[in-house]
Amino acid sequence: MEAAEKYDFSAVRWFSVAAVIYLVVGTLVGFYIAAELAWPVLNLDLPYTTFGRLRPLHTNAVIFAFGGCTLMATAFYSVQRTCGTRIWSPKMAWFTFWGWNLVIVAAVITLPLGITQGKEYAELEWPIDLAIAVVWLSFFLNFVMTLVNKKTSHIYVSNWFFLGMLVMITYLHVVNSLAIPVSLFKSYSLFSGVQDAMIQWWWGHNAVGFYLTAGFLGIMYYFVPKQANRPIYSYRLSVIHFWALMFGYVWLGAHHLQYTALPDWTGSLGAAVSLAMIIPSWGGAVNGMMTLSGAWDKLRDDYILRFMIVSLAFYAMSTFEGPVMSVKTVNALSHYTDWTIGHVHSGALGWVAMVAAGALYHLIERLWNVKMYSAKLVNTHFWMATIGTVVYITAMWVSGIMQGLMWRDYDEFGTLSYTFAESVAAMVPYYKMRAVGGLIFWLGGVVMLYNVVMTIRKAPARAA
Amino acid sequence: MSENNPFPNENNTGHFWDDNLRELSNDPPGWWRIGFHASWIFCIIYFILYPALPTLSGYTTGTLGWTQVGEYNEDLAAIDQVRSKWEDQINDPNVTAAMIVADDELRNYTIRSAKVLFGDYCSACHGAGGAGNAAMSVSESGYPVLADDDWLYGGTIEQIQTTITNGRKGIMTPYGARLSAEEIDDLAQHVVALSEGGEHAAGKALFMEPTKGGCFACHGMDAKGMSALGSANLTDVVWRFSPGGLESARHTITHGVNGELMDPQSRNAVMPAFGPLGKNLSEGTIKKLAVYVHQLGGGQ
Repeated sequence: MEAAEKYDFSAVRWFSVAAVIYLVVGTLVGFYIAAELAWPVLNLDLPYTTFGRLRPLHTNAVIFAFGGCTLMATAFYSVQRTCGTRIWSPKMAWFTFWGWNLVIVAAVITLPLGITQGKEYAELEWPIDLAIAVVWLSFFLNFVMTLVNKKTSHIYVSNWFFLGMLVMITYLHVVNSLAIPVSLFKSYSLFSGVQDAMIQWWWGHNAVGFYLTAGFLGIMYYFVPKQANRPIYSYRLSVIHFWALMFGYVWLGAHHLQYTALPDWTGSLGAAVSLAMIIPSWGGAVNGMMTLSGAWDKLRDDYILRFMIVSLAFYAMSTFEGPVMSVKTVNALSHYTDWTIGHVHSGALGWVAMVAAGALYHLIERLWNVKMYSAKLVNTHFWMATIGTVVYITAMWVSGIMQGLMWRDYDEFGTLSYTFAESVAAMVPYYKMRAVGGLIFWLGGVVMLYNVVMTIRKAPARAA
Repeated sequence: MSENNPFPNENNTGHFWDDNLRELSNDPPGWWRIGFHASWIFCIIYFILYPALPTLSGYTTGTLGWTQVGEYNEDLAAIDQVRSKWEDQINDPNVTAAMIVADDELRNYTIRSAKVLFGDYCSACHGAGGAGNAAMSVSESGYPVLADDDWLYGGTIEQIQTTITNGRKGIMTPYGARLSAEEIDDLAQHVVALSEGGEHAAGKALFMEPTKGGCFACHGMDAKGMSALGSANLTDVVWRFSPGGLESARHTITHGVNGELMDPQSRNAVMPAFGPLGKNLSEGTIKKLAVYVHQLGGGQ
């Protein structure tokens, strides 16, 4: 039915399957390091398997391998369909696929070896950074040129968000990765001191803001109305919240550095604009959820749609929580605690992974022109993902707030009540609970992978 | 709407993509619009009240006069006011650690406030509450328990303070090259026997023979150790190099203590200085730690 000659989804298929595999691998590493914190013997006393080296492997695997493949699959798919045209260069899409996977392989090798720039979410050393820039630009160019060739009169909203991501991530990645190489595997950042910290968190927060939020809102704007077969609730809302996010997000990075050597104005500016981002962020959540108005009954038996709608609920929750945590008074309690980890995962598991899973299920069915092997297993995955996320973030809320309270608790003598080690000991049950939450979430991913493999195996033979 | 609108009667914008994607002309919800305007108005008010905007020569400081360092100093002053009643006395050079121990109120304050200091500076080696860290194997050295009444360098408050201030470095000659394996075994058996209240005749002879072991020179004729040298009391059940026993004693006698340049298997027994020669903690802080360690269970 979808004329094979009209679109080219060959690379999209591979990106989709790769995304599901990386979801399982990335969250497995996450579960393992969560278990290391609860049972330190799992460090195995080897430098390669310590928390410090596996943690960046986990973040890179879930953000760049899973998140990246999901974004590339969905962007290359939806831009063709919303422009009514074939991808500009199918060959370049393959270059993007193999290039991106090469970067992932390089990350898997270098990070456990301790080769790192030591910048959070930007650990990879300079040769890999260069490769990322080239591959990312190939994604960018192919996407833009496909847009240029569009057969439709207007650019659909999902493409605005993908474009916003492509522009900003290019800018952020290049500036933050500026470094002077001293050898093939070692370089020093061009920035130092507080400027380095500021640039780093300008990148760090916008990796969240543009890659994991704008990009995934692009996914939401295509896949939610498609899956629900309903119109987007409000065009005007799309426009306003899109531009508010684009202009607002870039100011937020400083809220990661409250009460540090950062100048006073940057911290309070970051906090104020963060609070002002709640409503624009909710604009996306409202627009997505209201798209279902008049069709809420679909949630009863459309498990794929469930993923998408629950992801929007988590999105709304984390975009409220984040700004609240960026306020100095709250930050004084929450900073450096597990609350931050809980917040990140309510966004990463609840929003990013859930909306991605929904979109990927939708994609798999369309790309192989077949229904999922087991709708029941989609539902099983949905509940495991939801319960795993809730267990995870609840554990981190409790432990994070407890940590913050213990660290600042003074007795009647004006002296600290607890040693740091006592706060660590108090975390142990919550670390175990978090590992259990992560395990449940990971098992849900395994169920998804199984379901996807079985679906593709039963798919009717198709021309390659 | 255009006449060929495939979805008439739903108030869409008239734009369509991919068969069925379209947008409605709804306004954003009222509460959302109010919130949106409230957000930017909030920002403007905040920017007036707090430091927020860069200028060519600096930044706007805000009408409230709030600064981060000002908030920090205020908090610090508030806590200092609570503590100063006791801190002033502790930091007075004329107030000795022994005087703190003798004063109930001051001792209570010191013990409470030194708990976190001990956690930060001492417990990594000596364990929470001074419970020590036992070696995991015969070849490791472990760290001494502070909560018992066995002291290498003396357990009076002054001795403890000296230990914390200047640190300690144990020393013991290795006998691996001077004595035969059999002799070392005899000595080790004697050390084990001593801790059990007995003795081992051949070992004791070596212990007392200056040309052989000559152990009494440091450990004393009665083998009870000398706090001036930091030599261990061999007659009690406490082993400096836990887990103790024959294997452990043989290892220590063979390889000695802190001779790692000559023999990498030598025992390691070093405590860093926390006074001006090392961590440079203030004298008041060291006094507090001495009082805290002294009351852990074995102060003399």
